[in-house]
Amino acid sequence: MTSSVDLVVIGAGPGGYACAFRAADLGMKVALVEPRAQLGGVCLNEGCIPSKALLHGAEIIKEAHHMRDWGLDFGQPKIDLDRLRGKKDEIVSALTQGLAGLAKRRKVETISGYAKFKGPNELSVNGESLIFEKAVIAAGSEPIALPGWPEDDRIWNSTGALELRTIPDQLVIVGGGIIGLEMATVYAALGSEVSIVEMSPQIAGTADAECAAILHQTLQSEGIALHTNTRVTRVQATPEGIELSCEGQFEGTLRADNVIQAVGRRANGNKLDAHLAGVEVMENGIIPVDEQCRTNVSNIFAIGDLTGNPMLAHRATHQGHVAAEVAAGHPAALDTQLIPSVAYTQPELAWVGLTLAEAKANGVVHKTTSFPWAASGRNLASGGGNGLTKLIYCPDTHRILGASIVGKGAGELLAELVLAIEMSATLEDIALTVHAHPTLSETIAFSAERALGTLTDL
Amino acid sequence: MSTVIASPSVRAAARRQGVNINELARILDRQHITLDDLNTKTDQAPTAGTQAMSQYWDVDHAQYGKLSQSETSKFDRIAAANLSAANALIPQVTHHDEADLSAVEALRAKLKPEALAQGVKLTTLAFFVKALAVTLKQFPKFNASLSPDGETLFMKEYVHIGIAVDTDFGLMVPVLRDVDTKGILQIASEISDLANRAKNRKIGPSEMGGASMTISNLGGIGGTAFTPIVNPPEVAILGITRTRVTPVWNGSDFEPTPLAPLDMSYDHRVINGADAAKFMATLSKTLADPRFLLV
Repeated sequence: MTSSVDLVVIGAGPGGYACAFRAADLGMKVALVEPRAQLGGVCLNEGCIPSKALLHGAEIIKEAHHMRDWGLDFGQPKIDLDRLRGKKDEIVSALTQGLAGLAKRRKVETISGYAKFKGPNELSVNGESLIFEKAVIAAGSEPIALPGWPEDDRIWNSTGALELRTIPDQLVIVGGGIIGLEMATVYAALGSEVSIVEMSPQIAGTADAECAAILHQTLQSEGIALHTNTRVTRVQATPEGIELSCEGQFEGTLRADNVIQAVGRRANGNKLDAHLAGVEVMENGIIPVDEQCRTNVSNIFAIGDLTGNPMLAHRATHQGHVAAEVAAGHPAALDTQLIPSVAYTQPELAWVGLTLAEAKANGVVHKTTSFPWAASGRNLASGGGNGLTKLIYCPDTHRILGASIVGKGAGELLAELVLAIEMSATLEDIALTVHAHPTLSETIAFSAERALGTLTDL
Repeated sequence: MSTVIASPSVRAAARRQGVNINELARILDRQHITLDDLNTKTDQAPTAGTQAMSQYWDVDHAQYGKLSQSETSKFDRIAAANLSAANALIPQVTHHDEADLSAVEALRAKLKPEALAQGVKLTTLAFFVKALAVTLKQFPKFNASLSPDGETLFMKEYVHIGIAVDTDFGLMVPVLRDVDTKGILQIASEISDLANRAKNRKIGPSEMGGASMTISNLGGIGGTAFTPIVNPPEVAILGITRTRVTPVWNGSDFEPTPLAPLDMSYDHRVINGADAAKFMATLSKTLADPRFLLV
């Protein structure tokens, strides 16, 4: 049976479903092809959402623990791993079912299977042909598997780690990026002794160095061993565990019951026979697109992780809307440089726009200002630890160019600064905007006031 | 990051309207672009008023009979925007005079074989250009430009003359540089070179702009007078129509005299009527007696 649609979207992750739904809302006949049984992609099924559920659990454990200093002793938590896993799965399932409902309501046809291109207007799913006028490739990315490592089911990637099979006594995480740091936060709270091995000198490599250092210290004080500037040179699977030989700042062997590989993700661009449609795919699986999310083939779009870095769900969602609107004949474009990054660690680390290192590297005229959370009443009253709100601004115009926050709820606080930069707000705009007291958001206004010399809280 | 400051909704609106926001910022000469800027249209920014009024002639012409239609070229639109702005923003007066060309024509006839030997076609226009340059040297206010805010008057020490050239794709104004330092044959040769290249669209951007004054010469076509529009930032433009042999009373007789009608439109903010009359009298005198070209 051959069917035909106005638009086919390949991949039902946060980019793909947003694209399909938007296109349907614009009046197109849309099919959504997805190999998983549920919609939502990595984000919903084995990424953002389940990790946040586990991180919430980790936060409660840690907060309860810290409450001892306040005279509130909840004792040692009893961890029922099956129920915790069940709760996480329940949340995921509620959300994916919600998505299925949204798809149905929009009459988006969901097709289960892997899509392969046959030509610029045809693809096949499970051997059945689908004719399309336009297509959006949204097939995402997958965790990079390190070469030369043994095959062993005690070695997990992020997907495996989120399955929460067991709480290892000793866990080594290779890769100190956002995913590695979040997994460290979860398993450390659940009781694992966690070590992170990171090749570069800094965890969360692209974040502001000062903020990353605060996160580094806090994680270390929570008992997580952080080995930066360190390379894994050999991995051996023994009956007792996995042994990792390390070189660099840390020299020696780490023994682990389980190891998580978190060294990045690889684009899935070359898994779809896209070349049969004439679509250019780079060797690393990335499909180049313009700001309208068009590939080199004018009726075929690509969005999300497989269009390159940063591989983040919110970027994919925005691209998805752009692709749908352009496919429907509207003059949309992804017209922004501002894709916020958040590590949902404890404390959270969030940043957007220009970082200090980038400003220096590119010779951008800049100044920085910051406000330490040790001086924030709300932070202290909420049991928050170290934190910093830091703004990078243009000394001539006072426009905000970049922002980094480390501290409790930093990911939520960042939104104000993303909007501020999009709106070209200046230090004065922020300082003269009344922020409620006592809130953590005041630290943003205080940073601006500090730069202007009007701060009275420091 | 682009240097234009515009919120996401403004950028999206610009995209929907097909407006290049960087270009708009350049035209408006500022960094902040708002929704208001987009709503007062793009390349006709200086003519917002005429835009609104032109709604009155937004008519369905087909109801009155058969017609065809074509898009105006980008070239035409730019010229239209500039002309509309010049006409709307500059208080202009046109002063009419005439010049006795007897001596110029006699001199031209004498020099013609010599010019041809050098491969130059000596036209009357070359004399107008030279005479205008000589006159401009004596009237610095005519060799000037006003700043857009009207607060500064720039007086030019150079004399560059623009020549309006009618081409297949529209009006072009190539500019002859440093006319005051050049001889009549060189001027004639440069005019024909620039005019030919303009007609073939082979004029570089550096060969246009920066004129002291522009000449629009319709003498070869006809007419007795017209009112040219000042080509800003210049403050005056000289129009020429067809020379007619006219009986002129010399006190005892009517003498057949070739008279060239001259029409000069000027920016009344910079030049007053008496100055214009003196300028034109001097120009006429210079043409009537080409020895003044040497002064």
